[in-house]
Amino acid sequence: MRKKTFAAAALLAAASLTLSACGSGADSDKPVTIVSEDTSRQAATVLDKPFEKPDLVLTDAQGKEYDLREQTAGKPTLIYFGYTHCPDVCPLTMNNIAVAKKQLPQADQDKLRVVFVTTDPERDTPAALSTWLKGIDPQIVGLTGDFDTVQAGARTLGISIEPSTKDKNGKIVSNHGTQVVAFSPKTDAGYVLYNEETTVDDYTKDLPKLVKGENP
Amino acid sequence: MRGRPALAALTVVGALAVAGCGDSDPASSTAELTVDAAYIPQPVSAAMAAGFLTITNNGDAKDELTSVTSEAGDVTVHETVDGTMKEVDRLPVPAHGQLVFKSGGNHLMFEKLKQRPEQGQTVSVALHFAHSDPVTVDMPVKAATYRPTTEHSGH
Repeated sequence: MRKKTFAAAALLAAASLTLSACGSGADSDKPVTIVSEDTSRQAATVLDKPFEKPDLVLTDAQGKEYDLREQTAGKPTLIYFGYTHCPDVCPLTMNNIAVAKKQLPQADQDKLRVVFVTTDPERDTPAALSTWLKGIDPQIVGLTGDFDTVQAGARTLGISIEPSTKDKNGKIVSNHGTQVVAFSPKTDAGYVLYNEETTVDDYTKDLPKLVKGENP
Repeated sequence: MRGRPALAALTVVGALAVAGCGDSDPASSTAELTVDAAYIPQPVSAAMAAGFLTITNNGDAKDELTSVTSEAGDVTVHETVDGTMKEVDRLPVPAHGQLVFKSGGNHLMFEKLKQRPEQGQTVSVALHFAHSDPVTVDMPVKAATYRPTTEHSGH
């Protein structure tokens, strides 16, 4: 019995020697994906100087004129600038908000305005926006129109977007904003920013406050 | 009692020989690639999807990812810089390093998929390299809002 234990221990020692020899000199070889290092981090940035809501009159996904200030006055509003041919961040951002929104009481869901303004109006026609948003949340307002108007509106929120260009293969390259701006129902001012690291859980935690115009 | 420790000692010697890991063997200067953390967030439609994974190179030589193919649709490799994504021809996989595809950074872009990938399915892709043999990866389709975390991601 004793002998067996000894042999096993030796084998174990041999095994660990093998492992440590292979790993030597490369502490960084561990494929660990650290995405959220700090769980106590605050997703929201509350602005000292809130943004005025941009004076945007565009076309919605139904092809109707949409006056942003008029339609969202007194409503909690989230605005994001992106495009539908975007595989990664744009649908993730919209889905994060959509999933979090569904956890609000129905009355709050109906009050909340989530506005997706396209940065690629040439490809994002009202029909294209409508199809795309139906796959995420049909309550999201999709807006398209003149690029210069969209760009100027984004700029008033500190969001920089450039017109779509073609790359060397003739493929269209578009770009999106990196922030979601939350507007208060009390003041209609843009008072909270979220970046693209913001998760469903962050939005789920903050939306109940945002619909009341409170600081998250 | 005497014979056993001798046997055990032999085992240790054998293991040490294996554990050299080719440090002193000049012929073994190759990339050793493994792939993990692969996933595709369920896309809005079959027109467009993103894919993410991590390629780890435990070898002594660098390699390059040169293309990605799939029977499911067209795949291109992109990097994202300041909100603009750019198609790239190749991306380096450094020796004893990683090539990481993650949301907001490098991503695989799927276009013209034969059908919309749905959560729970897998999409098979082949990664092609400048030097190493192709690696086939079955990428699981996760929730649209899935984010990889080190633990308890809720999925």
